[in-house]
Parts: sequence; C-alpha cells; structure tokens
Amino acid sequence: MVDGILNYLWLVPALPLLGVIVNSVIALFVERPLLLAEEDHGAPSHGPSTRGTSAPMGEGHGASHAAPAYRKLVAFVGPAVVGASFVVSLLAVLALAARPAHDRLFVQVLFPWIQAGTFFAPAAFQLDPLSSVMILVVTGVGFLIHVYSVGYMSHEKAFARYFIYLNLFTFAMLLLVLGSNFLLMFVGWEGVGLCSYLLIGYWYEKKSAADAGKKAFIVNRVGDFGFLVAVFLIFWTFGTVEYTEVFGKIPGLAASGVLTTGIATAITLLLFVGAVGKSAQIPLYVWLPDAMEGPTPVSALIHAATMVTAGVYMVARTNALYLLAPTSMAVVAVVGAATALFSATIGITQNDIKRVLAYSTVSQLGYMFLACGVGAFTAGIFHLMTHAFFKALLFLGSGSVIHALSGEQDMRKMGSLRKHLPITFTTMFIATLAISGIPGLSGFFSKDEILWKSFSSGHGHVGLWLVGTAAAGITAFYMFRLVFLTFFGDSRMEPEVEKHVHESPYSMTVPLMLLAVLSVAGGWIGIPHVLGGYNYFEEWLAPVFAHGAEGAAHGGAHASAALEVLLMAGSVGVALCGIGLAWYLYRVRTEVPKEIADRVPGLYDLVLNKYYVDEIYDVAIVRKIVNGSIWLWEAFDTAFLDGIVNGIAALVKGAGERTRRLQTGVVGNYAFSLLLGAVILVGFLLWS
Amino acid sequence: MAPISIDAAALLTSVQSIVPEIIVVATAIFVLLLDLAISEEKKHLLCGMGLLGIGVALFSVYALGQGRIEGFSGMIVHDGMGAFFDVVILSACALTFLMATGYSEWEGTHKGEFYSLILLSTSGMMFMAKGTDLMTVFLGLETLSIPIYVLVGFHRNRMSSLEGALKYFLLGAFASGFLLYGIALIYAVTGTTKIPVLATMLYDPRILASPLFLAGTGLLLVGFAFKVSLVPFHMWTPDAYEGAPTVVTAFMSAAVKAAAFAALIRVLLVALPGMQPVLWKVLWGLAVLTMTVGNLSALVQNNVKRLLAYSSIAHAGYILVGLVSGDVLGGQASLFYLLVYAFMNMGAFGVVMLIAQKEDEGYDIANLAGIGFKYPALGALLTLFLISLGGIPPTAGFVGKFYLFSAAVKNGYIWLAVIGVLNSAASIYYYLRMVVYMYMVTPDVEVAVPRPPRILFSMALCASAVVVVVLGIIPRSVLEIAERSVLSLLM
Amino acid sequence: MTGPADVIFYVLAALTVGSAIFVATLPNIIYAAVALLFTFCGVAGLYVLVSADFLAATQVLVYVGGILVLIMFAVFLSNRISSVKLSNPVHFRLPAAAICLTLFGVLAYTAISPAFVLKQEITYQPTTARIGELLMTRYLLPFEVASVLLLAALIGAALLSRPDRPDIPRPDMEEPK
Repeated sequence: MVDGILNYLWLVPALPLLGVIVNSVIALFVERPLLLAEEDHGAPSHGPSTRGTSAPMGEGHGASHAAPAYRKLVAFVGPAVVGASFVVSLLAVLALAARPAHDRLFVQVLFPWIQAGTFFAPAAFQLDPLSSVMILVVTGVGFLIHVYSVGYMSHEKAFARYFIYLNLFTFAMLLLVLGSNFLLMFVGWEGVGLCSYLLIGYWYEKKSAADAGKKAFIVNRVGDFGFLVAVFLIFWTFGTVEYTEVFGKIPGLAASGVLTTGIATAITLLLFVGAVGKSAQIPLYVWLPDAMEGPTPVSALIHAATMVTAGVYMVARTNALYLLAPTSMAVVAVVGAATALFSATIGITQNDIKRVLAYSTVSQLGYMFLACGVGAFTAGIFHLMTHAFFKALLFLGSGSVIHALSGEQDMRKMGSLRKHLPITFTTMFIATLAISGIPGLSGFFSKDEILWKSFSSGHGHVGLWLVGTAAAGITAFYMFRLVFLTFFGDSRMEPEVEKHVHESPYSMTVPLMLLAVLSVAGGWIGIPHVLGGYNYFEEWLAPVFAHGAEGAAHGGAHASAALEVLLMAGSVGVALCGIGLAWYLYRVRTEVPKEIADRVPGLYDLVLNKYYVDEIYDVAIVRKIVNGSIWLWEAFDTAFLDGIVNGIAALVKGAGERTRRLQTGVVGNYAFSLLLGAVILVGFLLWS
Repeated sequence: MAPISIDAAALLTSVQSIVPEIIVVATAIFVLLLDLAISEEKKHLLCGMGLLGIGVALFSVYALGQGRIEGFSGMIVHDGMGAFFDVVILSACALTFLMATGYSEWEGTHKGEFYSLILLSTSGMMFMAKGTDLMTVFLGLETLSIPIYVLVGFHRNRMSSLEGALKYFLLGAFASGFLLYGIALIYAVTGTTKIPVLATMLYDPRILASPLFLAGTGLLLVGFAFKVSLVPFHMWTPDAYEGAPTVVTAFMSAAVKAAAFAALIRVLLVALPGMQPVLWKVLWGLAVLTMTVGNLSALVQNNVKRLLAYSSIAHAGYILVGLVSGDVLGGQASLFYLLVYAFMNMGAFGVVMLIAQKEDEGYDIANLAGIGFKYPALGALLTLFLISLGGIPPTAGFVGKFYLFSAAVKNGYIWLAVIGVLNSAASIYYYLRMVVYMYMVTPDVEVAVPRPPRILFSMALCASAVVVVVLGIIPRSVLEIAERSVLSLLM
Repeated sequence: MTGPADVIFYVLAALTVGSAIFVATLPNIIYAAVALLFTFCGVAGLYVLVSADFLAATQVLVYVGGILVLIMFAVFLSNRISSVKLSNPVHFRLPAAAICLTLFGVLAYTAISPAFVLKQEITYQPTTARIGELLMTRYLLPFEVASVLLLAALIGAALLSRPDRPDIPRPDMEEPK
C-alpha cells in the first residue's frame, strides 16, 4: 500500500513543469503587455533603480508597493509547485525506506524514448537511495529558496519570467537526478545549464551579466563534450546507457576482459571532464565566481546547492566504474584537493561578499570530489547535502544583507550589521560555524568524514589529508573574516544606505531560520560510529555504494578508532586556529591585514586577482581559438585556394580586396576546388 | 518489325508508383496557367493552389501505403524509403509555400513561375529519391537543379542573387558532368545502370577491383557531394544561399539536401555495400572535413544567412557520419536526421526572414538584438530551432545527432563520433551567439518591427516547432518508420 | 592492326582534340565558337565510327544546328561583348593545366585498364528504330521526366529573359576586368 505512492514519482518533476507552464502563460499574456505599456508611458517609478543595478532594491519597500494580482498568483504558484513536489518526494522516499534495504530500487518507465535494434533508452525515473537524497535536497532547499525569492525579487519587474526560469531549472535538475539512464541525465544536464545561463544573464542590460552568462556557457562546452563522448563510450562498451544494466554488466564484462582498465579509465576521465565543467573544479572553475552576477537566490539554488553538485552526483552515480580505474580515482582526488585549497586561498582576499561565498563553494565542491576520489562516495554525498543547507543559508543570508543595504556587496562598506539584522546575523553565524567544522553542526560530520577517509581509505593518502585540513583551516578563516567584516566592528556604510537598513520580510527570514535548523541538525543522521553515533546516512546509501564501501573499508582496516578521534581533534584545532586568526586580524588588530597586504604586495595582488587565471585563459585559449578559427576560415575559404591559384604576390596585393566577386574569377577557384577534390577522391579510390 | 505490345496492367502499376509526382507536376502546370487567369490582387491564390496540390500529393503517398510498387521496368520504385523521402520533400515544400505566403507579399515573388518552379523542382527531387536506375536519378537531379538555379536568381535586381545563381549554375553544370561521367564509366564496366542489378554484378571481385569502376564510383560520389555540399565541393553554398531569396534558401537547405542524400543512400546501401571496406575511408574523410570546415567557418560569420549556410554544410557532414558504416542503424539515423533537419532548419530560416527587414543588409546578426524580449514568441521559436540545430536536448536535433554518432560508435568508428561531438560542441557557440544577440544585447536603435506574420506563416513556424519538440521527446515511432524504410531497401 | 578504320579514327580524334584545345585557348570568342563547330563534328564522326548512327545525327542536329547557332546569336546580340576579352587571366593557366593533366592521367589510367568490356566486332545496324522503341517502353519514365525538365528550363528561361517592369531599373552589371 505504501508502495503506491511510488507510482506518482513522475509528479516530482512534473509539478515544477506545471509551474513553468502556468507562469509562462501569465508572463506572456499578463506581464508582458504591462511591461510594454509601462515602457511606452515613460520610466516607471521603480524602474531605473532596479534595472541595471545588481540587486533588486527600490526606494520604497513593502507597503508602498501594491502588487498586482497576477504577481500574487505567481508568488503562490512558483513556490507551491516546488513545495508540492517536495511533499511527493518525501512520501516517495518514505515508501522506499519501508522496503528492505536490498530492494530499494524503483524504476518508473514513462514511455520508450529512443529505440533502435537492441539499443533502448526509455524515459524513466529511477528512485534509489542516491537519487532520493538528491531529490529531497533539490525540492526541499529549492522550495525554501523559491519562498525567499518571493520577497527578494518583489521589486523586480519581470517577476513571472524569473519564476519561469526558476521552475524550469528545478524541473531540469530533477530530471538530471531522477533519470534512469545517462541520456536522460544529459538532458537534465543541458537543461540546468541553459537555465543557469538565462538566470545569470537575468539582468541582461548589465554587460558584465551578459558576459558572465557567455563565459559560463563556453566553459561548460568543454565539460559537455567530455560527458557526451563518455556516454558514447559507455554505449560502445556496454551496449546500453541504462544505469541498472550498465552497472549490472560491469562484473561480467570486467571478468571477460571486455571492460579493461583502460576503457574504464577513459570513460571515467571523460565523465570527470564533464563534472569538472559543471561543478567548477580546476581548471574550469572560472565561470562560477562570475556567475554571481545573477540574482542572489539563483546563486544559492544553482551555484551552491544544486546544479554545481551535479558533477559530484554523476561521479557518485558511476562509482562502480570509477572503482575499476585507480588512475581516475587519483585524478579526481587530486583535482578535488587542489581545488579545495586553491580556491580557499582566493577566498581570503575577496571583498565582494558573494564572491567570497562563490570561491568557498568551489572549495567545498573540491572536498566532495576529494571524497569521491578516495572512494568515500557516501561522505561526498553527505557533504553535498550538508553543504546545500549551510551554503544556501549563507547565500540567502548574504542576499538579505545585500537587500538591506540597497544592493551593496562590498564588505568594506558594511560592518556592525549584527544589531540591524539580528535574524540574518544569527542564522548566518550558525552556517559559518557549520562550514568551519565546529563539532556538533552538520558541516563537522560531513567534512570530518571526508578528511578521515582521505587519510584512512585504500585510495587515500596522507598528503590529501594535509591539503584538506589546511583548506579547512583557511575556510574557517575566510568565513569568519566575512562574518566579522559584515556584522561586527564599526559601521562603514554609506550614510544614505544606512538610513534604509532594515531586517528582511518574513518570506525571506523564515527560509533562513529553517535552513539554520537544517545546518545544525542535518548532520545528525550521519554521526560516525567512533563518536557513539549511528551512521544512518551511510547505511541508507550502502546499496548504491556497495563497491565503494568495500574499497574504503579495505584500506581502512588498519586504522584505529583512536587515530580517527585524534585526526578529528586535529582538524577541529586547525579550524579553531583559523577562527582565532580571523578574530585577531579583523577584530583585535584590524590594521594588520592592510600591513600584510602592503608588506607582500606581489603575493597579495596575485591572490586578489585570482592568480590571474582568467587573464591567462583569455590570452592562452580564447584568443587563440578565435584567431585560429578566423585564420582557418580565411585560410580555407579565401587564402588557401587563392594562394594556390594566384600565388603569394597576388595574395599580398589583394589582401583588402573582396575576393567573392564573380569578375575576379573566383568561380574559377571554386571549380578548381571541385576539380582538386575530385582528383584526390578518385585518385584515392584507384590507389587503395 | 513486331508492334510494341503494351501491358496495360504493368502500365497501371507504373503510373501508380509515381502518383505523387504526377500530382505535383500537374499542380505546377495548373498554377502556371492559373497565373494567367487571375488578377494581380489575387495572386496569393496561387500559393493556396500549390498548397492544395501538395496536400493531395501527401495524401496519395499515405494512400499508396507501405507496399513496394515497382514501375517503368525497374526505373523507379515506391517503397518505404521512397515514401519516407516523399514525405520529407513534400513537407519541406509545404513549409516553403506557407512561408512564401508572407515572403512573397513583401518581396514581390507572388508569381506563377515562382511557385511552379518550386513544384517542378519538388517533382525532380521525388524522382531522384525514388529512382532505382541511375538514369532516373540523374534526370531527377537535373529536374530539381534547373528550377533552383532560376529561383536563386529570382531577384533580378539584386546583384548577390544573380551572382549566387550564376555561380551555382556554372558549378552545378560542372558537377553534373562528373556525375554523368561516373554513370557512364559504371555502365561501361557492368553494362547496366539499374541500381539493384549493379548490386548483383558487384559480387564479382574483378569488377569491384577494376579501375574503371572505381573511377566511376568516385565521380558519382563527386556529383552527389556537390549537391549536398560536402567539403571541398561546398564552395558554391554560401554564395548561393546568401543570394537566393530566403524562402528559396530554406527550401534548398532542406529539400535539395534530402533528395540528394536519398539517392546517395540508395546507391550506397543497395549497390555499393561491397565497396564499404574502401569507401568508408573516403566517406570518413569527407564527413570529418565537412563538419570541421563548416563549423569553423560558421564561427566567424556575421550574416545570418551565411552563418546558416555554413551550418548547413556542417550538417551535411553529420548526416554523412551515418553513412560511413553503411549499415541499417546508420542509414536510419541519417533518414531521421534529414527529416528533423528539414523542419528545424526551415523553422530557423522562417523566423530569420521574418525578423530581417530586407534582403542582404537585413540579415546582419546585429538585427537580432533585443528581439527576444520584444517578440517573445519569435525569440522562443528561434531559440528552439537553434538549440535543436546545436543538438541540445530535449529537441529532435539532439536525438538525431545522438543516433548518428551512436551508429558510428556501434560500428567502431569512435574517433569519428568524437570529432562529431567536438564539432557539435563548437557549433553550439555560434547558434547560441544568435540567442545571445536576441536576449542579451541591447539594440543600438529601436528594435526592428518584424512584419506581421500571416496566419499561414505562423502555422509553418508552429508546425516546425511542434515537430522539433515532439520528435525530441517521443521520437520512437518516426525512428521505427525510418528503420522500416531502410530495411525496405535491402529487401 | 591498322586498317582504314583506324586511320579515320585517328584523324577524327585529332580533329576533335585539336579544335577543343583551340576552343579553350583562343582569346576571341567568335573564333572559339567556330573551333567548337569542328569539335562537335569530330565527335559526330566518332559516333558514326562506333555505329551509333542516331547519336551522330542528333549530335549534328542538336549541337551544331542548335546549340552552336545559339551561342553565335548570343554573342552577336549581347551588347558590348566585342569590347570584352573573354578569356581566363593568365595566372590561371599553370595550376589549371597541372590539375587538368592530373585528371587526364587518372582518367587515362582507367581507360587503358583492361577492365573494359570490349565487343569483339562492331555490327553496323540502324539503331534509330530500336531507340525509339526503347524510349517508349523501357525508358518511358526518363523520357517523360526529361519533358518535365525541359518544361522547367523553358519556364526559367522565359522568366529570366523577360524584360523587367519599367519601374525597376536593371542592375548595372559591372564589366569584367
């Protein structure tokens, strides 16, 4: 009977899609005529200040703003569909949990999608422990962020359009995690990407926003290429792309020698290229900080809690393949650890509150990959979940700050907000404690499990542990720097801004409080055995990561409980040191950071400018490609043939000349090309 | 001399096998005559008449059913494959007419000759797609080409139109020569031009190895490669596409390509499977070259028509990927992609021609700026067609490309698939560049007001959009039809 | 084995190829057109030599009587054509010659390959009746399709050559350099 709810699994993605449809109708038939009419009647009262600035701040908030009825409808539909989807997800997961552990796999085939001969890819949803965690995070955190958006975007003109994108994103993300095969995952993968560009470029009038959208787009091309080629390789090797079949076939094919380590390595490395693009890891992380041009709830939902973790989900999903490819595992672990440390250091110097959080996200994603790379997939997913809670909270809190400060994002112009924004401060402080790994909070359990596994697992290494622990210390440092700069000390606000400072409406603070609860308690389902807890989370995911657990346990045998506690204490100590340092530098001796920056200007600038990675990419890659393609086009279409025919002299002479004209005899060149091709083609056939 | 005996039953079957073609030709003549009878204001009736004829022809294809009807002593056959391409070509023609209702209004192409040339060209395409004799294929090719040459140059007061037409004509004649010479050489070795008979002759290894036959095959390929614009036989494409009236460009890009590929598929799968061990290298090289040159050239274009021209070259490369392996899966993928391509590409051209104010300068990419918000429906449609062309799910373009590349992968051409995917990834850059212009670039001047779309024009765009979306989500039935079509060849 | 037939063949071949070279190289288009006449006649002769009587007659009628005359008319009726030097620029010659020679080599290689199915002896029979019969039976479809093709060509030609409406100015065709 309980199982019955599983048959309604399709509702989980369908509900947000319904929201898209309803909101589209509203946007097209109600909102657009209004906007057009407004444009015709000159600038509206709240127009100029909202459009073209980075935060949706009008002059008069709240009561003065009588929202038209349609906005209320949108404000209801947008969050409600996601909330309903969360309820369905929750019921479905409970139904799944009621089943015995070995039977926790439910596949709902909607319709046969692609079929040819033996190849078959249905449109089907797969609910298993892994995807259940993901849908709960996506719909749960997503719902809170939708609610928050109602308040945050209330001054925005294109209100319905925003919720179309947000609902559409939720739909695509659910497709990604629920799809029962690699193709459907790819559909969701592209879908979330598309929504991400749309939302980054939401304030498209801002050039930087449009540019950021484009940058995210181009960088993700690289990743998508890897993903798609990997899917083809999987198809080639297994003859199917359906998860259950692929993973079911692995032992047999590995035994028969069809699935060699080489192929497994190729597949997993290509998949990892996709994950690196989507989850912003070295070397493709550059797009994520720029993506902060989008509205803050978007950063919370897409660029912290859900989309960027798709790469982690994908690696975890294919854990059985990764375990066959030790090289890939090592690559994943090293890239993850390096990213964790590298972007944490950048986080120290950033002054834009959202950029600090962006680099922090990149760094935390690095942790998740580190976990996957050492075979601790459970820990990776665990951290994915807790990170979704506290990072969403941090972003939403920063949004609340930005909202209160009329769009100010520079932390140097904040300070002493503790008094003005008590709820925002409290909740953000909790999240900061969580991300710093203070014992008892969610971040502590997940991060510590990663660090422990990176040390003790068979795939682990003490170097990885050291890097991870160092990054944890730096994380604690820059997060407390953020808190101290924002909420403590003297006010450095512009007087004009200070007058308007106010706590955000309930639609924004209630999600903050709920997320704060989750940030604290979210980790309690995975308390390690050594601390006397029972790791429900690990047990829940065990069926999916059966192989992974083996791998991790294999090497873990030699490690003792005492050592685990010792390392745990060590990492907490490092975090406390980071906090202490931040306290000392930003509360006690506030002049020191400036001095340090002055004393080692080269290093400081290097880090402040994000190691100049963007610039290096621009010179080394983007320009080369653009120049290369221009060259190729010119070379092939004009210069190559003209060069042969007319000789170098004519080429130089006619450099500026339009060569397309009939009269210059270019038709002759075309014919020449045709003839040349024919001779080569026929010649080749005769030769071979 | 004995009198020629006429087998009435055979003649009836023969006529039956070309009923759709007869209807199309009859419509062409009727439209031409009707043009003389009606006044200047009622010229749009011509378009309606044409549409009616196409509708009847489509119905006749449906009525003829799945069976195999051979006619004219093996010159032509109406089989699954023929029916499939009849539908593709007629649909492209119908879309052209629907769009022409609007286009002719503002560009002054409401002329009987215009429509009847399109219809005659369509009939040539259908003959080509159904021809089982190289003679029929060649005559079909010429019948499709001659009207197209004229249509490209239809705008006699535009230099680029005339230039494109002349270039296309000169080179087209050249390429036809190659094709004919290839047919002659093949005839010289085998003594036949019938495609199924050729297949049986090729069991003889001596024929397969004879230089005469190899050269004939090569020249035949050159002729086809020219028509589907494979690199390096593609040089005419950007000029002709840019110069032609846009509605003709749309027609060419979809229908001509479909017809030429139909004949190529028939020849490759039926007559030349024995040559596959050699031919795949040639096709592999052509596919890679075409995809790469097409996409890289498209990256730097600022004229939308030219951009889509290079994109269409690249797509010919993708479709060729399905033919490299020479098996059913690949052929089926190519068929499916040709169908999808016809709709998505014509849809893209449709929106673009609506946005452009006038030929030539109207097609600068900067004209797209700001369209997305001012005209959300147009913006959304163009975005849909472009992401489908780029192969992003959940559109039909993605399913089609996935099929093509997985066919290559299944037959072990991994690198071909990798190059294809890489190309496809690069191509998304220039498609999305247009989307970026629509949504993220603020126009320098007031957003141009597109001409009010007529109901029929809107129907064409919506129909294309529906096909692109539906075939992206539930492509199965059409894929099965494509599979049956390819299998019908091999029976 | 050299017989009178071979001698005739070589004479005709020399006539055809030689005049074709003149067509390609003569700078004056009228001379080139006249040279083309000899090429066509040479080809017609070759047809006769392989007992293709119908083809030879058609060749003379259509090419010499129709197409060549048409070319002449077109040349004479085009204004300003006499002042235009219709020849390829000089720098085309070398690569063009190279590629054409290569193509010639490839085709010659195929032609002398032993794969040709050679008829043992040529029987001289009239072919016209047989061709007519075939056109009405086996090749009925191509015959009919050809008529569609001609119709299309006719419409196209009429369309392109019909004078413009007076309100639309003719484009100013640039003179070739």
